Amino acid sequence: MARMKFLCDAERCIECNACVTACKNENNVPWGVNRRRVVTINDGSPGERSMSVACMHCSDAPCAAVCPVDCFYFTDDGVVLHDKDVCIGCGYCFYACPFGAPQFPQDGAFGQRGKMDKCTFCAGGPEADNSPEERTKYGSNRLAEGKLPLCAEMCATKALLAGDGDTVSDIFRERVTWRGSAGMSWGWGVAYGKGGLRKGRAIEGKATGGE
Amino acid sequence: MKLVKKNQATDHSQAHAAFTVATMDRRTFLKRSGINAGGIAAVSSLSMSMMQKASAATEAAASGGKAEQVRTICTHCSVGCGIYAEVENGVWTGQEPAFDHPFNRGAHCAKGASVREHGHGERRLKYPTKLVNGKWTRVSWEQAINEIGDQMLAIREQSGPDSVYWLGSAKHSNEQAYLFRKFAALWGTNNVDHQARICHSTTVAGVANTWGYGAMTNSYNDIHNSQAILIIGGNPAEAHPVSLQHVFRATERNNAPLIVIDPRFTRTAAHADLYMRIRPGTDVPVVWGMLWHIFENGWEDKEFIKQRVYGMDEVRAEVAKWTPDEVERVSGVPEETIKRAAKIMAEHRPGTFIWCMGGTQHTIGNNNTRAYCIFQLALGNMGVAGGGTNIFRGHDNVQGATDFGVLSHTLPGYYGLSGGAWKHWAKVWDVDDDWLAGRFDQGSYEEAKGKPAKPMNTKGIPVSRWIDGVLEDKANIAQQDNLRAMVFWGHAPNSQTRGPEMKQAMEKLDLMVIIDPYPTVSAVMHDRTDGVYLLPAATQFETYGSVTASNRSLQWRDKVIEPLFESLPDHTIMYRMASKLGFGEQLCKHMAVENDEPSVEDITREFNKGMWTIGYTGQSPERLKQHQQNWHTFDYTSLEARGGPANGDYYGMPWPCWGTAGMGHPGTPNLYDTSKPVARGGLNFRARFGVERDGVNLLAEGSWPKGNELKDGHPEFTADMLKKLGWWDDLSDSEKQLAEGKNWKTDRSGGIQRVAIKHGCAPFGNAKARTVVWTFPDPVPVHREPLYTSRRDLVEKYPTYEDRKSFYRLPTRYGSIQAKDYTGDYPLIMTSGRLVEYEGGGDETRSNPWLAELQQDMFAEINIVDANNNGIRDGQQIWVEGPEGGRIKVMAKVTQEGVAAGVVWLPFHFGGHFQGKDLRDKYPKGADPYVLGEAANTALTYGYDSVTQMQETKCSLCRISRA
Amino acid sequence: MSNNRQSRIRHHRMVVFSLLSLLLLTLVLPLIPYAVADLGESAGKVVNPGADLWREVRQRDRSVIGTTRVKGVDSGVLINVYGEDWRQFRMQRLIPYGAALMGIVLSVILLYYLVRGPLRLQGGPSGKKIQRFTVFERTTHWFTVSVFWLLALTGLILLYGRFVLIPLLGPDGFGLTASACKEAHNLFGPMFLVAILMLFVTFVKDNFYARGDMTWLIKGGGLLGGGHVSAGRFNAGEKIWFWIAVLGGIVLCVSGLILDFAVFGQGREVMELSHVLHGIVALIVITVSFGHIYLGTAGVEGTIGSMTTGYVDEAWAKSHHDRWYAEVKAAAVDDSETEPAGGGSASTGVASPTRDG
Repeated sequence: MARMKFLCDAERCIECNACVTACKNENNVPWGVNRRRVVTINDGSPGERSMSVACMHCSDAPCAAVCPVDCFYFTDDGVVLHDKDVCIGCGYCFYACPFGAPQFPQDGAFGQRGKMDKCTFCAGGPEADNSPEERTKYGSNRLAEGKLPLCAEMCATKALLAGDGDTVSDIFRERVTWRGSAGMSWGWGVAYGKGGLRKGRAIEGKATGGE
Repeated sequence: MKLVKKNQATDHSQAHAAFTVATMDRRTFLKRSGINAGGIAAVSSLSMSMMQKASAATEAAASGGKAEQVRTICTHCSVGCGIYAEVENGVWTGQEPAFDHPFNRGAHCAKGASVREHGHGERRLKYPTKLVNGKWTRVSWEQAINEIGDQMLAIREQSGPDSVYWLGSAKHSNEQAYLFRKFAALWGTNNVDHQARICHSTTVAGVANTWGYGAMTNSYNDIHNSQAILIIGGNPAEAHPVSLQHVFRATERNNAPLIVIDPRFTRTAAHADLYMRIRPGTDVPVVWGMLWHIFENGWEDKEFIKQRVYGMDEVRAEVAKWTPDEVERVSGVPEETIKRAAKIMAEHRPGTFIWCMGGTQHTIGNNNTRAYCIFQLALGNMGVAGGGTNIFRGHDNVQGATDFGVLSHTLPGYYGLSGGAWKHWAKVWDVDDDWLAGRFDQGSYEEAKGKPAKPMNTKGIPVSRWIDGVLEDKANIAQQDNLRAMVFWGHAPNSQTRGPEMKQAMEKLDLMVIIDPYPTVSAVMHDRTDGVYLLPAATQFETYGSVTASNRSLQWRDKVIEPLFESLPDHTIMYRMASKLGFGEQLCKHMAVENDEPSVEDITREFNKGMWTIGYTGQSPERLKQHQQNWHTFDYTSLEARGGPANGDYYGMPWPCWGTAGMGHPGTPNLYDTSKPVARGGLNFRARFGVERDGVNLLAEGSWPKGNELKDGHPEFTADMLKKLGWWDDLSDSEKQLAEGKNWKTDRSGGIQRVAIKHGCAPFGNAKARTVVWTFPDPVPVHREPLYTSRRDLVEKYPTYEDRKSFYRLPTRYGSIQAKDYTGDYPLIMTSGRLVEYEGGGDETRSNPWLAELQQDMFAEINIVDANNNGIRDGQQIWVEGPEGGRIKVMAKVTQEGVAAGVVWLPFHFGGHFQGKDLRDKYPKGADPYVLGEAANTALTYGYDSVTQMQETKCSLCRISRA
Repeated sequence: MSNNRQSRIRHHRMVVFSLLSLLLLTLVLPLIPYAVADLGESAGKVVNPGADLWREVRQRDRSVIGTTRVKGVDSGVLINVYGEDWRQFRMQRLIPYGAALMGIVLSVILLYYLVRGPLRLQGGPSGKKIQRFTVFERTTHWFTVSVFWLLALTGLILLYGRFVLIPLLGPDGFGLTASACKEAHNLFGPMFLVAILMLFVTFVKDNFYARGDMTWLIKGGGLLGGGHVSAGRFNAGEKIWFWIAVLGGIVLCVSGLILDFAVFGQGREVMELSHVLHGIVALIVITVSFGHIYLGTAGVEGTIGSMTTGYVDEAWAKSHHDRWYAEVKAAAVDDSETEPAGGGSASTGVASPTRDG
C-alpha cells in the first residue's frame, strides 16, 4: 500500500518559491493563505539552507489528534485530509502541528476565522472527486487523476519530492549515494529528531577591497 | 520524476472507478453522520468558507469537460521551460508540468509555476487609452493609431525620422522582433533598440569579438558534463532557477566543485563549494589573478592555445601585473582563495564559466566579458562538452531579439549597418535600395574613417541613453534633431538608471506611446497631462511564434488563449501602424495578412531567407513545430533526438543551423566543438577578423572539425573560394545563379554553406580566437575603476577612459565624472540585482497576485555594521541616495553577511513609487500592479560601457539614512 | 489612626498576594511533569554529527528562526516543538485530569449530601426577612452566572464533545453543534470580561480579609465539625470563591481574548500557553463552582432565597453571618429606619451593609 510522503532535499532547495506559487495556481488559494512555504535558515550566511514546508501527512498526525470535532481523516494513501463541513475553525490543529501547516484564513472583522485550510497533497476533500464542490472547498484532486502534487512536480531543482514513501526514499538515497555524503534532507526524520546537515562553508573575501 | 499513485490507471474512467474504491471510507464517514450532504453545505456557512468562489472557468473544468492541452514556453527567463496549458472553452483552466520537455523536465521557478495567471490578467491594460488633461480616457484602436500616426508624421516632417525612437522588446517573439527591426528600418531610422543593450550587450560584443559569435556557447543541459562550474556576477538560483537543476546534476554526479564569485552572498553562493566575495567592479583583477596562478604553474592548455588562440602572449604580459597581493589589494579577495579557485578550475576540466549582469553592467563590461573568455581559452575549455562560456541571458527572448538586431548598431543577423548589409536585407525584403535609403535622413552628422557618414550607416542612440537624446543640446547630437517621440514597445523604464533625468526627458517629449500588456512605469513616472498613449498588447500566450532560449535553441509556442480584452498581438499592431505611416505594404510584402495580422509562419520563412550569418535559416516553421510536438524524443543531456521524426536533430536546432531547411542541419549544440563534423553540429572558431595581423597568422593551425577536407585553418567561404577549391560545380544551377559574386553570408541560395559543409568545413572559415581585440578601446582587457569608485587610491593607477565627443551619436563622459571624489558624502557602494519572484521592470510579475504576495516591499540589503553606524534597524524605512541626487525610500533589510560592510544591494524590479511618492493613483483604473515600490535605478547613476553603451548599474555610490 | 489604616492596607495586600500566588501555584503545578518529560526526552540522545543545526531548530533557539517570503503567524518557524507538548498536555492531561477532577468533586459533594444531608437552619426560619442582596447585586450575579455557564458548557462540549457527543450525534451533527458552540463561545467570551468586572466592582468591598476569616477557615466553615462559625457578610469560603472567580475569570478572559482575536500577530507559543491557562483555570473554576452551587442551593437550607428574592430569613443570617446580621441591625437602628417585613418592597432605602472602618 502506498503511503504518500513529501521530502525536501535541503541541499537542492534554492528558495525559488515555485512550490508556493504552483500550489496557489493549482488550488486557487487566495492571497494571505499559504498551504506551502519555503523557510530559509541562516539567510545570507554560510550554511544557508532552505526547506519547503507544508503538511507532511504524518502517520500519527497531531492535528487529527487534537481536533475537537475529529474532522481529519486519512485516505488509503496515507494522506491527511480534513472535512471543512465539520471543521469549526478553532485553530487547534495549527497549534499542534509541528510544521505550521494548517492555515486559518481571516474572514471579516474582529479576526473572525473561517474553516481551516491546509495542504491536501492535491487530493481534494470528502466530496466526489473533482466535483465543483470539492474544487471550490479544497482545490484540485490530482491524485484522483493519477498525478502527484503540483508543488513537487514543478520543483525547479527536484528538491521537493512527493509520492509513495518508499519511492521517494529510493530517489533520495540514490542522490545521497551520488553525493557521497550523509543525508541532508528535510522531512520526517528531521522533524521528529533524526537527520543532519552539512555545515556551511566560510565566506572568503570582503567586498570593499583591501584596507 | 513522476511517481505513480497505487490506484492510478491510465484510462480516466478506470482511474475514477479505482478511486471510488479508495474513497470508500470517506463515504461511509459521511453516511455515519446521518445528515444529508446538502444540509451540511447549507448550514456550514455559519462560519465562512475559506475558498474564494471559484470562477466559472474552474467550475467548468471541474465538471469533467475535456480540456485541450497546448504546448507553450514560459515567457519569463531565457531557460525556455516548456509548459502544458490546459484550455477549456477558450479559458486557461490549468497548468501541467511538461515532464517530457528537454530543458526543464516539468520544473519551474515561482514565475513559471504561476504563468496561468496570465489567463486572468486582472491588472492588464484593457483597451487603448490616452492621457487627456491628466486623465486617462478610453479611445478606439483606430483613433489611437490615427492620432499617433499623424503626430509621428508631423515630427518626421519637422525633425526627420531620427526624432522618433522605437524601443523594442526582448518579450517579442522572434517573428515580432524581426518585424520590429524591419519596421524601424522602413520608417528610416537606426534609433531602435531593446533591453539587450542594458543586459548582455557587452557580452555579445566581447564574446563575438573573441571567437565569432556573441552567445552562450553550450547549453544549460550541457552543464551535466561539467567537471567544475564557475559562476561570476550571476545569481541563477534567483534569476534562472531551473538552471540549477542542471548545475546540481554536475555537482552531484560529477562531484563538480561550484565556485561563486559575487559581492553578495546569494542563494547561489549558499550552495557553492567556494564563495569569493569581491568588491563590485573588480572582475578583471579577479580573473587575471586566477590566470596569474595558471600561467605561473603552467596549468594552461598549451596545445590548445598554440592551435586555436591568437595573442595569448599579450595577455600574459597584462596578467603578470596582477600578482596575488595586487589582486587582494584591489578586489579584496585573499591571495590564498584566488589560488584555490585557480587550482580547482585547472584540476577539474572541462569546467564551465557562467556570468550574468554582475559582469556585464560596467563601464568596462566588454573587458570583463573578454577576460572571462580568455580564462576559458587558457584552460582549453572551449569547444568541449562541459566547458564553454555559458552566458545566461535574461528575458525569454532576449537572445532572439538580439539576433534579429533590435539594436541601434546592426541589422538582423549581426550584419551591421554598412551599405552591403542594407543591400542584403533590401533583397530579402524585396524592396528597392534607393527607396529604402530615401526613407532615412539624408544629412550627415559624423564621420567614419575620415568620410562623412549618413545616418543610415551610423549607430543610433542606444536605449541606455535615450534620455540624453531628449535632453542633450541639439548641437552635441549626431543627428538632425533631438528625440521628440518615444515608443516603448514592451519596455520597463525602471530598468534604466538616472530616474530623475528620465522623468525630465519624459516630460520634454512631444509624444509617448506605450505598447504593452501592462501600463508600466512609463505611464506614471512623469507629470505629463497629455500626449501619452497606452495601447494594450497581447502576451505571448495570446499569440504564437518562435522564441530563442539562451542556448540558441528555437522553440515554437502555440497560442493558449485569444487576446484578452481589446489587446492585439504586437505584429498586428506593427502592421496597423505601418499602414498608417505609409509602409504597411513593404513591411508585409511577402506575408499573408489576415484581419491586419501578418502570418507568423510567413515571417519565419522570411527571416529564414536572410539570417545566413548565424544560421537562422534551417529552422523552418515546419521543423520547429515538429520539434515542439516531439519534446520527449530529445535527450536530457545532449539535446539530440534519439529516434522519432526529428532523429539526430538537436532540440530547437540551436543556431547556427546552417543552410536551408531542406539541408536538414541538426543545429549546433556546443559552439566551436571540433569533435563533430560541421554537418553534425561541429564547428571551429570563426574567421572574422582577417587571416593575418602584423605578419601573424590568425587562422587555426592544426585544428579542424572532424571530417574537414582542408585539414587546417581557412578563411570564410566566398564564391571565389569555392571556385579556387574546385568545389563550384557542387552547386546546382539555381544556386550558382544566386551565389555568383556572393559569400556565405549573402548567398541567398544557401549553396555556398551547403557545399562548404559537404566538405566538412565551417562556412565562416576556421580561425583562432583572439585575445587581443585591436578595434576596442582596450585591446587586451585591463582593469579600470568605476566612474563612481569607492577606492580613490586606485584611480591614479586604474583610471577610466577619457570623455568622448560622439559615441552612438552622443557625447559620453568618463574621466570628468571620475575626477570628482564623492566618497566623502556617499561612502557606500551601491549595487543591484534580481529577485526570483519578479522579472525585469516587474510590471507583469508584480501584477500577478501569486507572485506579488511573496515580495511586498522594495528593500535595500545593508550590512549590520552600516545599519548600526547609521542608526538603522531591520524593517525600518530608509533613504538611499545616489551621488547624482536620485533618492529612494525603501525598507532596510539588515544582513550579517549577505553583503559586506560598505555595500548596499537593491533589487531592481520595483516601480510605481518615485523619490518617496506613491504613484498608485496615476495608473489607469484597475491596471495598477498589486505591489509598487521605488525603482532602484532612480538612485543609480551615469556610466556607460566603452564599446556598447551598457549602463553601469553594478557599482555606484550612495548614502543611507533613516526616513 | 493613620498608622493603623496603613497596616491594614498592608495586611490586605498580603492577603491578596498570597491568594494570587496560591492560584498561580495551582496553575503551574500540573505543568511540572510535562516540563520534566521534555527534559528527559532530549537527554542522553546519540549525537548525530552535523545535526547541530537541526537540533537548534528543534529547540527553537531564537537565533535560528528562519526567514520566509510567506507572510503569516510564525511562518518563519520551521518546527514548532511546543506543538507536540501542547498536544500531549491537552490530550493526555487536561482532558483526563479535568474529567477526573470534576468527577471526583461532584462525587464528593454527592456523597456529602447523601451522608450528611443539607445543613438545616437551626431552630427553623424566624419568618422575618432581611435583605441580603440588592437587585443590582443579584442582576450582576445572575448575569455572570448566565455567561459563565454558557461559556462553561460550550467550552466543555468543545473539550469533551469529541468523546461524548460524536457517538450520539455523528461527526457532522457534532460538527454543527461544535461550530455553534465555538461561535457562541467566541461571541460571549468578551462579555464574560464585562461580567467579571461588574462582579468585582459590586462585591469587592465585602470580600477583603477580615478578622475571623482565619478562624472560619481553620474550623472548615463548620461544614466538617458542625456548629457555626462566626462570619461577616461573606464568610472566608465565599471570599475565596469570589477571588477564584474574579482572578480566574480575568485569566480566562485575557487568555480567551488572545485565542479569540488572532489578529495581532501572536504566535503559536502564546496561543498554546493561553490555551493551557485557559483550560486549567476554566476547569478549576468550574469545579469550584460545583461547591458554590451546592452550598447556595441544596447544601444549606435557606440560602437560595438570597439570590432569588434577595431576602433571607433573619435566623439564617444570624446563624451563618452573625456579624453581618449585627451590622445590618445596627445600621438600621442608626439610620432610624424600619425594616420592611417580607420581601415585597424595592431595594431603595434598604440599609446596605457596610464594611467597618
